[in-house]
Amino acid sequence: MSNIEFYSAEGLRMDGRRWNELRRFECRTNTHPSSSDGSSYVEQGNSKVICLVNGPMEPENRSQLSTQKATLEVNLNIASFSTTERKKRLKSEKRTQELITTLERTFEQAIVTKIYPRTLISINIHVLSQDGGLLASCTNAVTLALIDAGIAMYDYISAVSAGLFDTTPLLDLNALEENVMSTLTVGIVGKSEKLALLLLEDKVPLDRLESILAISIAGSHRIRDIMDKEVRRHGKVRLSKSSS
Amino acid sequence: MVAQVERKRLTAGLTVTQKVFVRSRNGGATKIVREHYLRDDIPCLSKLCNLCPSIMKPDAKGEFQKFTLSDTPLKLANGGHHYLVLDTNIVLHAIDLVENVHGFFDVLVPQTVLEEVRNRSVPIYTRLRALCKSDDKRFVVFHNEFSEDTYVAREANESINDRNDRAIRRTCSWFQKHLNDNSPQLSVNIIFLCNDNDNRAKAITEGIDARTLAEYVEALPNADELRDLVPTDSSELQRVNEIAYPEYYSTARLMGGIKNGTLYQGIVNISSYNFLEGAVNVPSFKKPLLLLGRERLNRAFNGDSVVVELLPKSQWREPSSQIIEESAVEANDTPEDEEELKISDQERRLLAQDAMVSHKTQPTDEVASRIQPTAKVVGIIRRSWRFYVGQIAPTSVSENSGSAPSNCFVILMDKCLPKIRIRTRKAPELLGKRIVVAIDSWPSTSKFPEGHFVRSLGDVESAEAETEALLLEHDVEYRPFSKNVLDCLPSEGHDWKVPTDLDGDEFIKKRKDLRAKLVCSIDPPNCQDIDDALHAQLLPNGNYEVGVHIADVTHFVKAGTALDAEGASRGTSVYLVDKRIDMLPMLLGTDLCSLNPYVERFAFSVIWELDSDANIVKVDFMKSIIKSREAFSYEKAQLRIDDESNQDDLTKGMRILLQLSRKLKQKRLDAGALNLASPEVKVHMDSETSDPAEVEIKKQLATNSLVEEFMLLANISVARKNFDAFPQTAMLRRHANPPATNFENLNDMLRVRKGMAVSLESSKALADSLDRCEDPADPYFNTLLRIMATRCMMAAEYFSSGSYGYPEFRHYGLAVDIYTHFTSPIRRYCDVVAHRQLAAAIGYEPLDLSHRDKGKMETVCKNINRRHRNAQFAGRASIEYYVGQVMKNNESTQLGYAIRVFSNGIVVLVPKFGIEGLIKLESLGDINSARFDEENYSLTFTDHTGAERTIAVFDQVEVDIKSVLDEVTSKRKAELFLK
Ligand SMILES: [Zn+2]
Repeated sequence: MSNIEFYSAEGLRMDGRRWNELRRFECRTNTHPSSSDGSSYVEQGNSKVICLVNGPMEPENRSQLSTQKATLEVNLNIASFSTTERKKRLKSEKRTQELITTLERTFEQAIVTKIYPRTLISINIHVLSQDGGLLASCTNAVTLALIDAGIAMYDYISAVSAGLFDTTPLLDLNALEENVMSTLTVGIVGKSEKLALLLLEDKVPLDRLESILAISIAGSHRIRDIMDKEVRRHGKVRLSKSSS
Repeated sequence: MVAQVERKRLTAGLTVTQKVFVRSRNGGATKIVREHYLRDDIPCLSKLCNLCPSIMKPDAKGEFQKFTLSDTPLKLANGGHHYLVLDTNIVLHAIDLVENVHGFFDVLVPQTVLEEVRNRSVPIYTRLRALCKSDDKRFVVFHNEFSEDTYVAREANESINDRNDRAIRRTCSWFQKHLNDNSPQLSVNIIFLCNDNDNRAKAITEGIDARTLAEYVEALPNADELRDLVPTDSSELQRVNEIAYPEYYSTARLMGGIKNGTLYQGIVNISSYNFLEGAVNVPSFKKPLLLLGRERLNRAFNGDSVVVELLPKSQWREPSSQIIEESAVEANDTPEDEEELKISDQERRLLAQDAMVSHKTQPTDEVASRIQPTAKVVGIIRRSWRFYVGQIAPTSVSENSGSAPSNCFVILMDKCLPKIRIRTRKAPELLGKRIVVAIDSWPSTSKFPEGHFVRSLGDVESAEAETEALLLEHDVEYRPFSKNVLDCLPSEGHDWKVPTDLDGDEFIKKRKDLRAKLVCSIDPPNCQDIDDALHAQLLPNGNYEVGVHIADVTHFVKAGTALDAEGASRGTSVYLVDKRIDMLPMLLGTDLCSLNPYVERFAFSVIWELDSDANIVKVDFMKSIIKSREAFSYEKAQLRIDDESNQDDLTKGMRILLQLSRKLKQKRLDAGALNLASPEVKVHMDSETSDPAEVEIKKQLATNSLVEEFMLLANISVARKNFDAFPQTAMLRRHANPPATNFENLNDMLRVRKGMAVSLESSKALADSLDRCEDPADPYFNTLLRIMATRCMMAAEYFSSGSYGYPEFRHYGLAVDIYTHFTSPIRRYCDVVAHRQLAAAIGYEPLDLSHRDKGKMETVCKNINRRHRNAQFAGRASIEYYVGQVMKNNESTQLGYAIRVFSNGIVVLVPKFGIEGLIKLESLGDINSARFDEENYSLTFTDHTGAERTIAVFDQVEVDIKSVLDEVTSKRKAELFLK
């Protein structure tokens, strides 16, 4: 991959973006109304993720449920055609489990779980295509699907990845960029600067962390705005349907 | 495949499209989709533009790009004020000219060109990028692929090349229009330089001022100066076909062949005895594949990465037992005329199996075991071309040429390479000078490669020209350090002192104060860069405390600075007979980082507790402050230790060191460390005239080995600690086991001539068997054998620990499981990295990202390995040159040994001067009388007195040594003549 300038002297990345620019971000909610209580579809560059949410509901096996709050269950299904090279199954299994745990922990804090005791909220994520920022796309898709399902949340969780190339922080890495630099994924609560999620792969020098965090927070806020717009658009469609 | 043209507007100035392409790898085709963003804020960077300053966006540090292109660019008689746009072929073929300081200013490099150059040649890409950084050349990169205005999508049935050509032309037209619209002050013409006739014609139809390189240079006011530097364009040369080399296979065929196992890829190694014989090492074969003759070599250079095809078994050969030099081969003399045989891929695979089997079984037949598979070059993956030094062959210069350009041959100093044809007007004045040339191409119809003159170094045999030639030939960076490198040094300069306040900052607080320890240094006489010092003392428990203190170079050389980058790129200091090329500036090497006596210095210390058998009880690493009590030469140290009347603590410490070092050495030898030999000679310079005066072999004293043992111990201890802290990226050094095949020839010679053998089972077995090979009649024989065995060894190499499994870390020669270089950070970059890693491992300071990144560490290792090798070769070449100079006034008769015997000559080594030379049959005696007995490694001939003589390998011979100027290469060398 050395035949690419990842960040040129002129300040452009391999795909033409500048250091602080997001990739194309598109999203839809309520994409699968018949098969789920809430659903969404997120495209972040060429990463494509579908999320289906069912619940709160009574589960088949009641013994594991908490009497205090709702229980979350995350399934992550990464399609074998989602990367160009279909391989490394074994390695990715460990990684999938890591992602699931991270998502469960994040959304246990974001959902107002205490108002749904003795219920199960089941989140199913399908990754159709991977081009970097997998955890961020999943987080954004889950947020949208939960909102679509009408499950109470404290605020939006919007997520984006960022990395460090030499001394320049780069926002929203694609797969090729992710391969060559340490990657940080953050999830931000609403318009605040509170972190709901932070995952760092490999190491970043401590003195550079702040600059990476700063651009990822700014990026997450922009993603929140796009998701908010979509939620409001869909809300209007629903309202007009129910009122007519 | 065709890119989709679908574009999507994201924000005001950003559009996204998809780049779709098919990648074939491992036989399968994969469709790859990548996003590609187009934008409207890419500036033209011309100082004349009124628009672009308003569209700029800042980078992460809040800085804006500089507007570089001049507001008063050069004016041509036919073309007005102009900016240049370079096509890819111009950059690739004429980078030297483009870099010239007297021409080529205000140049625009389209991104398309930059990427094409990078794909074709990373070194040229690096030089192009350096031009874009330099202020005085005013080069800018315009990212046309990312600009909405200049991006072109590939059309159906359009080749990538055509599409890229179109993208470059689009950039030219857009720029012309952009300047016309936005720069009313001055009208600037865009001139497109392109040597591709088709592309140039299209550009002209599109209204672009397109010219060839030669046309442009002719239009320059200083054309006379630059004209000779224009590379020859092979398409323009009308020449009778002297020879037709076979065309190379297509890329698709090469890739397919490599994949299905009918073709092999490897690096060409030209024999130093025969420039028409090459060998390619291919992992699937035990023995290298031989490339015999001009046609089989098919234009490959020494060091090129090539693809080869096996030849039928009937053409497999023994390696040539002849010595052939370029000068000996006449122009119309093409050795090896065999008709081309057609064989199918199926047969080829069988052949390959045959070739592999024939190496596994040991045939009883002696000849069969020496047979090697032969092959021919069918494609070149990567050229190793660089600048070459040589001189014009006088016979190739015609006298009546006047000022018209004429062809002449340049004979390179490197005898493994063919001569180069250049076209110049200056041939007569360049005769007798060392000149630098660059190679442009080697068309299949030309017997010799085509090149052009770059610059002259001076008269042949002048010390300056010869030294510079030698440095250039070995790719040693010898220019003085640049200002921004020197700016990284402490501003106090020579007045820098260890601070008096040891609570000053957090780093100095972490330093251990070792000024009370009785430290001293032991080095060669007049040593200026003292990078190590030692101390030892008896502990109350009967054990010993021993400390090795290394100059704390990384206190001054911080990662990421220009100083660090320069050191990393030089990789090592280079020692020539009369000159030292430093890796780091003098201020550090001979002063601040030199552990001089009586002054305080920062050091990095390794302190052991050793028991009386020199076993390590405990080891500690620390940054420290030391004060050396004395700087000894090896001899002075020896005298002080030997003099019983000295009973002071410093001398007692030195005696402890000596005693422990003997135990360490014994342990190493017991473990199987090798005691190899190479003839190391030293040239004494006359101090008044600085002319070389005499040559002597370096001597070894017990105190040499005292220092060496503790340096080895420190290196091993540091290697363990760093590997422990950074299992993936620790900087280490390994020495692979020699493959048995390397010793086949030597062992066979030993068996036939002396009835002896060396064992290769382990390094211990090898060491023991070398000890046993004694010839009572010839005390020097054992050393000779060790010299020859050294040449069968693998080279030790630097690597990062992630690149190999732990068992492969082993250092064969030293017989240790893990090793690194830590003790000479002034003159080796490996040690600098090891220092930083150790500092991080003990929590002194965090480790720079570049030393924690596997990829970056591999790049560093690759470079320092290459630099290290080049430095060794340069050092040897320098000795060879000076030995030649010494012999000018000291012709003498010496004892030598035959170390190789060919059918037309013998190679003799003269231990006293460490020189070896070839004695050709012509000078031995009557050519027709010679009988070569290959089985017995002997050559029988009638000498000039008419007596019959037989010389075999390992025989002692008397030789006359004379200094001779080689007619062809103009190299002065000591030449040998049989007495
Ligand atoms: Zn402009």
